[in-house]
Amino acid sequence: MTATASRPAATIFRRPAATTGFWSWITTVDHKKIGVMYGYTAFTFFLFGGIEALLIRVQLAGPNGDFLTAAEYNALFTTHAVTMVFLFVMPAAAAFMNYLLPLMIGARDVAFPRMNALSFWIFLMGGLFLYSVIFFSDPQAPLGIADATGTTVAGNLDPSYNTLLGGLPDGGWFLYQPNAGPSYSPGLAIDFAALGLQILGVASLISSVNFIVTIFNMRAQGMRLLRMPVFVWMMLVVAFLLLFSLPIIAIALFMVTFDRSFGTSFFQAASGGDPILWQHLFWLFGHPEVYILILPAMGIVSEVIPVFSRKPLFGYAAIVFAGAGIGFLGFGVWAHHMFASGITPVAQAAFGLATMTIAIPTGIKIFNWLGTMWGGKLRFTTPMLFAVGFVSQFVIGGLSGVTHAIVPSDWQQTDTYWIVGHFHYVLFGGAIFGIFAGLYYWFPKITGRVMNETLGKLHFWIQFIGFNLTFAPMHWLGLQGMVRRTWRYAPEMNMGPWNLAATVGAFIIALAVLIFMVNWIWSRRKGQPSGLDPWDARTIEWTIPNPTPEYNFASNPVVHSLDDFWHLKYSEDDEGRPVRRPDADDLVVRLDHEGRNPTEPIHLPNPSYFPFIMSLGLPMIGYGVIWHTALWGKILIGLGALTTIGGLLGWGMEPLEEPHDDHGHDGHGEPAIAH
Amino acid sequence: MSDSTIEVEVDHHGEHESTGIEHRKLGMWVFLSSEFLFFGALISNYLLYGGRDFDSVVPRDIYDIPFTSFSSFVLLMSSLTMVLSHDALARDDQHQARTWLFATAALGTVFLGGQVFEFTEFIEVYGMTLTTNPASSSFYLLTGFHGVHVAIGVLMLFSLFGISLRRGRLSERQGLNLELVGLYWHFVDIIWIVIFTLVYLLSAS
Amino acid sequence: MSEAHSGAHPTPRMYVKLALVLALFTAIEIALFYLEDTIGRGLARFTLIGLSFLKFIAVIGWYMHLRYEKSTLSKFFTGGFILAAALYGVVLGSFALTLAAGG
Repeated sequence: MTATASRPAATIFRRPAATTGFWSWITTVDHKKIGVMYGYTAFTFFLFGGIEALLIRVQLAGPNGDFLTAAEYNALFTTHAVTMVFLFVMPAAAAFMNYLLPLMIGARDVAFPRMNALSFWIFLMGGLFLYSVIFFSDPQAPLGIADATGTTVAGNLDPSYNTLLGGLPDGGWFLYQPNAGPSYSPGLAIDFAALGLQILGVASLISSVNFIVTIFNMRAQGMRLLRMPVFVWMMLVVAFLLLFSLPIIAIALFMVTFDRSFGTSFFQAASGGDPILWQHLFWLFGHPEVYILILPAMGIVSEVIPVFSRKPLFGYAAIVFAGAGIGFLGFGVWAHHMFASGITPVAQAAFGLATMTIAIPTGIKIFNWLGTMWGGKLRFTTPMLFAVGFVSQFVIGGLSGVTHAIVPSDWQQTDTYWIVGHFHYVLFGGAIFGIFAGLYYWFPKITGRVMNETLGKLHFWIQFIGFNLTFAPMHWLGLQGMVRRTWRYAPEMNMGPWNLAATVGAFIIALAVLIFMVNWIWSRRKGQPSGLDPWDARTIEWTIPNPTPEYNFASNPVVHSLDDFWHLKYSEDDEGRPVRRPDADDLVVRLDHEGRNPTEPIHLPNPSYFPFIMSLGLPMIGYGVIWHTALWGKILIGLGALTTIGGLLGWGMEPLEEPHDDHGHDGHGEPAIAH
Repeated sequence: MSDSTIEVEVDHHGEHESTGIEHRKLGMWVFLSSEFLFFGALISNYLLYGGRDFDSVVPRDIYDIPFTSFSSFVLLMSSLTMVLSHDALARDDQHQARTWLFATAALGTVFLGGQVFEFTEFIEVYGMTLTTNPASSSFYLLTGFHGVHVAIGVLMLFSLFGISLRRGRLSERQGLNLELVGLYWHFVDIIWIVIFTLVYLLSAS
Repeated sequence: MSEAHSGAHPTPRMYVKLALVLALFTAIEIALFYLEDTIGRGLARFTLIGLSFLKFIAVIGWYMHLRYEKSTLSKFFTGGFILAAALYGVVLGSFALTLAAGG
């Protein structure tokens, strides 16, 4: 330690010191607290998105539904998608990444702890900004902007927009142009969507840099790249996908904002723009985004399945390289979203072929998971049930996905419920089942307790049934010709029964989620204490006590092999079967004791106000841009910029750790945690 | 920056960097590699739209190549002064490091001034505004975002210069900052090298 | 700061020499721009792109010091560049194909 100062550094504020309560959360730079905040925020948005889905399903339960207006329907399916993709699945993955990644590589924190807090606060501000459009859903939008012909568009005149829900962003999560441009979507909803997604992108870009540096630089001694848990590998691939795809959508969204707010015509065909460019830019980001959503769940089940099969992951290297391969190929297939948009036959053939090749690494992974379970001693705990549910439903979603690679077949399916069924199998049956597997599996790390197994299994089975009842019929509806994003269907189309089934299924899913919430709240206080190693786990995040101590590792871990913790507990007999070492139980007790009693003082990064302050500037700039024609809009842009730059300056003047005095702590093995 | 600010050099509790590259430096390189995608989109945008004139004035008709050549040269030379500043600091020649740092920031400011002049001329003399046509929009978006990057760089350079002036020296920690700002600055320069050729010379000829 | 330099660390003199070369290249570029009709459009454009690429590489290699850094950094950086060039190349190519097909 070379801290060389006796006076505290001068900063604008006194350094925050609270360790509990409201301010400790606002100012924390602890990756675990940030992970928990990501988790709860994401889950709250999950409930929003879920309620939106239920409203959609009520409208579609029978023919000629009149529960929602057309405008509300458009707004709800768009907001449902945006919420689930950007405000639930991505931040839920960020929650796991934050909480677990340092623990899995044997680090005390991420490479840039304050930047990590900044990511979270920007994410939260972006989400709130996006939803805040609901307060401004005035059908007579005060802004007029000149459209292609030079006349002023005075806001939307359709009275059906004049509802609270109708003011949410509409036009689809992909904001296709020129439909979501100034002429066809006047009003503020799309402005909020474009700027909100921009803010969320900043958050993700910052965390991607942070996590790439963390994974490359902060691994414990002996934690070579090919000894990292598969979850860490998948997160590394995700971080690179974010890193390289977010700048593309950033530019595309800037162009939308310029079109809508400053009168350019990048995508407005009537004045020389090219809507197809929007589709290219959007899907250049949008397709890697699909893998950004699914790879974290693949990482989670790759951790869960070996533990509950009592076998090492079958083909570790294959699954790692398949994951990297998916990430790489994921950049080369974007135009398969555009087969019906008039790209040339050459491009169609090339992108069709490229899309089919993605089935290869994906198939490898499926066989890896099956091979891991094959011959294993399976324990069907709740996390394992969700993991197996992930594998089976992801196979269905993957296979229906391959059918889109065949161009003529895609022309039949595109914009039908077949597609809706397909991607819900991948994103709900896949990603969300994976997320639940992870929540049940790592719950003890956060709380020191295990979740109730009976309620957990009930949750799984109800959700499994509800999910398949909701989304399997969508395939049949799609083949029957039911078009996506339609508000109503006629009784003669004979689509009522399966739609009713899907609606019933959606409410069954809602029941399952309620059971999960009850279980979570109950288990936090009353669940069985977990001890150090509730699952007989394999990786090093389970070598430290539950709940995780603030300093993570009492002493810096040294890693000797893949599945290091397992090899400490088990040896192999002559036939390669695992045999528990006689001292394994003592080892677990000793690790628990040592983990709670660090022998040397541990210094952690100090909390800071500045990440929170900096994040406040971005929504201010956002509101300012939306109302830039007014004086106060311009003032708001300036204030927002000042807030962010001021926060940055304060940040720059504040050291990551305050100077500390290593002498004079009581020496009773109390952890000396510097704040 | 207040005088009572004390330089705190914290050895990050014996943490090692598995790659041997300092965290912030690795982070900067990772970030810069993603910036290729950012500027790539803007440049492609111009390459696609640059010729769509719709009987109105487009950038390629009104480029002032001698003037832009001069700006490009200024930015190129600022890369030299930047690297000289970094090199001087590595030899702990604080005075030279500060001088070259100032020169870099000044050259950057000249470049920005040139851009302001160019934009003003395009708007006032030729009537080519942001909204004239997709070609002009994509031109202003590209060069504007590049200009914002240069401006951020100039701000960072002047801050470092201020710190150096005030404290009389740049510490080792600030030395890393100088290196990082330098990387960013050179990156902005290489993007301009591409823009100058693809957007100005090739599209005007 | 950085360690593991492969080969000699560049000196200020080298930096200045490189700047002269870069300035020369820029001068040639401008000359090519004006002499395009004399030496032929194809050759001029090819040379222009070549020269700017050399400038690009030189600044990265020496001024950004990438030649002397660990290979991890160049892998990231070239990765980003190649990815950007490939993706946007395909996008522009597909527009060119569509336009050629009269779309």
